[in-house]
Amino acid sequence: MKPTTHQHATSQSAVAALPGKYLTFTLGDESYGIPVLKVREIIRLCPVTAVANMPEHVKGVINLRGKVIPLVDLRAKFRLPIGTDNERNCIVVTQIAAPSGGTRLYGIVVDGVEEVANFVAEDIEPTPDFGGALDAHFITGMAKSGSAVKTLIDLDKISSEDGTIPIRELKDLHS
Amino acid sequence: MTSPQVDLHATLDTLLQQIGLELAFVDVTQENGIAGLREQVLAIAGALDSPADVPEPIRQAVTAARSWLDERSAADSRFTAETITSFNEWHSWLATALTAWAHGQSCAAVPAGWSVVAAPSAVTPPATTPTAAPARAAAIAPADDTFQDQKVDVSVTAGDTELVQLFCAEAQDLLQDIEQGVLVLEANPSDSTTINTLFRAFHTFKGNVGVMNLVVLQQLTHELESLLDAARRGTFQLGRESFDVILAGEDVLKRYVEEMSKLLGSNEQKTTIPLPIPRLIAKVRGLLAQGRSAAPAAAPAQAAPAATPPATPAAPAAAKPQPAAAPAPVAAPVPAPVVAEKVAPAPVKPPQPTAVPAPAAVTPVPVPAPPTSAAPVQESADIASAASAPKAQQRSSASTSSGIVRVDTLKLDSLIDLVGELVIAQSMVVQNTEVTTLTDGHLSRSLGQLRGITSDLQRTAMSLRMVPIRNTFQKMARLVRDLALQQGKDIQLVLQGEDTELDRTIVEELGDPLIHMIRNSADHGIEPVEQRLAKGKDAAGTITLRAFHQGGFIVIEIKDDGRGLNPDRIRAKAIERGLIRAEDSLDEESIFELIFAPGFSTAEQVTDLSGRGVGMDVVRRNIEKMRGSVEIQSEVDRGTTFTISLPLTLAIIEGLLVGVGDQRYIVPTLSVRESFRPLPGMVSTVQGRGEMVSVRGRLTPMLRLGRHLNTPSRATDPTQGIVVVVESGQESRCLFVDELIGKQEVVIKNLGDMFRNQTEFAGAAILGDGRVGLILDINSLVKLKSKNGDTAA
Repeated sequence: MKPTTHQHATSQSAVAALPGKYLTFTLGDESYGIPVLKVREIIRLCPVTAVANMPEHVKGVINLRGKVIPLVDLRAKFRLPIGTDNERNCIVVTQIAAPSGGTRLYGIVVDGVEEVANFVAEDIEPTPDFGGALDAHFITGMAKSGSAVKTLIDLDKISSEDGTIPIRELKDLHS
Repeated sequence: MTSPQVDLHATLDTLLQQIGLELAFVDVTQENGIAGLREQVLAIAGALDSPADVPEPIRQAVTAARSWLDERSAADSRFTAETITSFNEWHSWLATALTAWAHGQSCAAVPAGWSVVAAPSAVTPPATTPTAAPARAAAIAPADDTFQDQKVDVSVTAGDTELVQLFCAEAQDLLQDIEQGVLVLEANPSDSTTINTLFRAFHTFKGNVGVMNLVVLQQLTHELESLLDAARRGTFQLGRESFDVILAGEDVLKRYVEEMSKLLGSNEQKTTIPLPIPRLIAKVRGLLAQGRSAAPAAAPAQAAPAATPPATPAAPAAAKPQPAAAPAPVAAPVPAPVVAEKVAPAPVKPPQPTAVPAPAAVTPVPVPAPPTSAAPVQESADIASAASAPKAQQRSSASTSSGIVRVDTLKLDSLIDLVGELVIAQSMVVQNTEVTTLTDGHLSRSLGQLRGITSDLQRTAMSLRMVPIRNTFQKMARLVRDLALQQGKDIQLVLQGEDTELDRTIVEELGDPLIHMIRNSADHGIEPVEQRLAKGKDAAGTITLRAFHQGGFIVIEIKDDGRGLNPDRIRAKAIERGLIRAEDSLDEESIFELIFAPGFSTAEQVTDLSGRGVGMDVVRRNIEKMRGSVEIQSEVDRGTTFTISLPLTLAIIEGLLVGVGDQRYIVPTLSVRESFRPLPGMVSTVQGRGEMVSVRGRLTPMLRLGRHLNTPSRATDPTQGIVVVVESGQESRCLFVDELIGKQEVVIKNLGDMFRNQTEFAGAAILGDGRVGLILDINSLVKLKSKNGDTAA
């Protein structure tokens, strides 16, 4: 998918592909980046309450100082191997657009946080066409950082798909 | 009389000077200035409203100026060369005329071109007014349908969002005050405190719309303000018509404000809405003109306010000569539309239909409207609001002075969240194992103090969410007034316990169910007057709306003394609708429950108010959504009482903490009927899978929570675990869990958008150890279809 058409599809992703500061983190052997403005804080792993009958990558909910926020494992979402937990594992708490308007908090489990990098326009390249080999529609661009490549992703796009589990007939509830 | 006279002239002089200044700076095709000019012309008109001895030419001149302004703002709100010339002439003429008047000399007649066209036949626009704009047509038109709704701009400039928000919030408050005030006045039209309050409310509103530069609304509010001002000075007697006009005006303003706040929240670019402003303005002016000429003679004689409008129409006809020539008195044609108006609404629902005098609508000469057609209806509405009158009055005066700060609800919610976090942090400190081993007396005293302050703070924060139910109740007063009028019934609404405080969310959610139930009571419950008299009841029906605390719940009672529910008819209807079978035997209570069934309606006749078979089921569902319940008591011919019980707050519930495997879930205590450890043999299976528990001789399906929620359960044999019997509505189900952990009050947290499609959990809560516990949605678990749930077991 061409990034231009993609940018039209979601207004949020257009912002994400802009040059600026990104928080980069690792998932398995790969490196990803999200706009640093979306990051609210980084916390250590904490007890997770699983919510039944949700997709595999939705780990459950955690207590962030009195707030209940969802926790998503991007490794499961991207079908990456989930290694054993170590002390570099942490939760990046992000602030993303809520479908109902406003913002909401959204926690993602990452293998490790790398750095806050400043990407200028020349560093960012459009998403290459993977030829259908993978679902790339939430990737907003590829950033070159030295010899490494960081995949810039659109969290708004990812999170908006998480709620899509089969909906039971609502009227069943009132019958 | 001398001193007010001198004051008046001084005021007029000042205003005239200001107009002169304003005129000196205006420019062709410019917009600025027209609002200022309007303000001053309106001020002059206001000042001239009350004195009886204002020379007719001066009045005419002011009216002419107003009509020019109306016309300009209806067109493009810009000055034209002609308008400026006319205004300059007008200014110097008025200066001369006012001086003459002040010195007791008679003043010259207005120039021919100025007077508003007198008779509808003479439609030639005066030379000074370049275009025949709609507003001008409206001002002189004799019949109601000539008044086009005016398209009013509601667009919000991007930079103004904050200002508009403030404006809308304040406007809503003011409009509510106005509505309440009118209802109070209807019961007691001479209540000067309330008239003053109303006047001030309109005045403030006018100021606000002025700041927003909403010229059209400013006009309307100004007219209504002058009506009240005249009433305040005693030169105008408020009556049924004026109340209707004020309420209609309030509705228009309310619609505008609503549209505006809607636009604020969206990106929509809708810019105009049609509002019947010209018609209302004409109506108010008509009323005023009518009242002014009638007041000296008629006012003292009128003890009953309802008699005012029907009695007055004859007066203007007598007082003013019938218009014939072009430079005729301007005041005369104005009453004409009023008469047309008065005749038009009459056929709505006259209890004793009187022939509507058709000629009245076509002739410009005022003809007295039939007083009999409207009178009984008016009376009933007056009584309807009488009950709420004294309290509403106290409130309106109190609300203006009490120190209330507007706070964004988001800020409030985040404050409450933070306090919640503080409470948890505090308990973590106090319960820290290191800290508990310390024996320092100082520290334990400080910790105790910390605990005390935190819990006080929490209580105060929670109380911020609580608001009195008063506003919701007051809306019902207006509703009952309108219903009584529409139906020609005589209904009195008694409000009790309006100060009872409820959670903000509950108050918001409660509005619709209450409206529905009040409508039902007024429509189906209260009988028409003749029927009531035949039954030996008071002609006036009473609906009592009461709120009070009872055992940790807020109870809201809607009680009418109408015909009551007829069990036989409900039963027959339910059989007809297939809700029950003819051979079913039901006690009275279960029969009454049937009215909450979807698609049930016993009204023999579907009215536009209620009886379409949607309603009570929605009411029940809404109330159950707030974890409340509805009960009915009814006696034939004695009345019906609906009792709604609601939790004090939606934020906190008492829950039963149950353990399944390594997970803990919260079951709202309200839904729990009982819990026990089953004895061997209590659980039987169907087809080896569907499990049933025999609870007091009743077989109840059992759901293994662990399997349903994919949590490995420790107890596999039913006798090792605990069965919790939960119910929702009429159905119950047994939940099989490993253990009961305890009972706990928890603060409900929303699970958020991500989990919006799951049905197992109603929310989440932070448990004592800081972990998140999920609250089970008992309603969906109980009503789970067997294919989803039990096959898994």
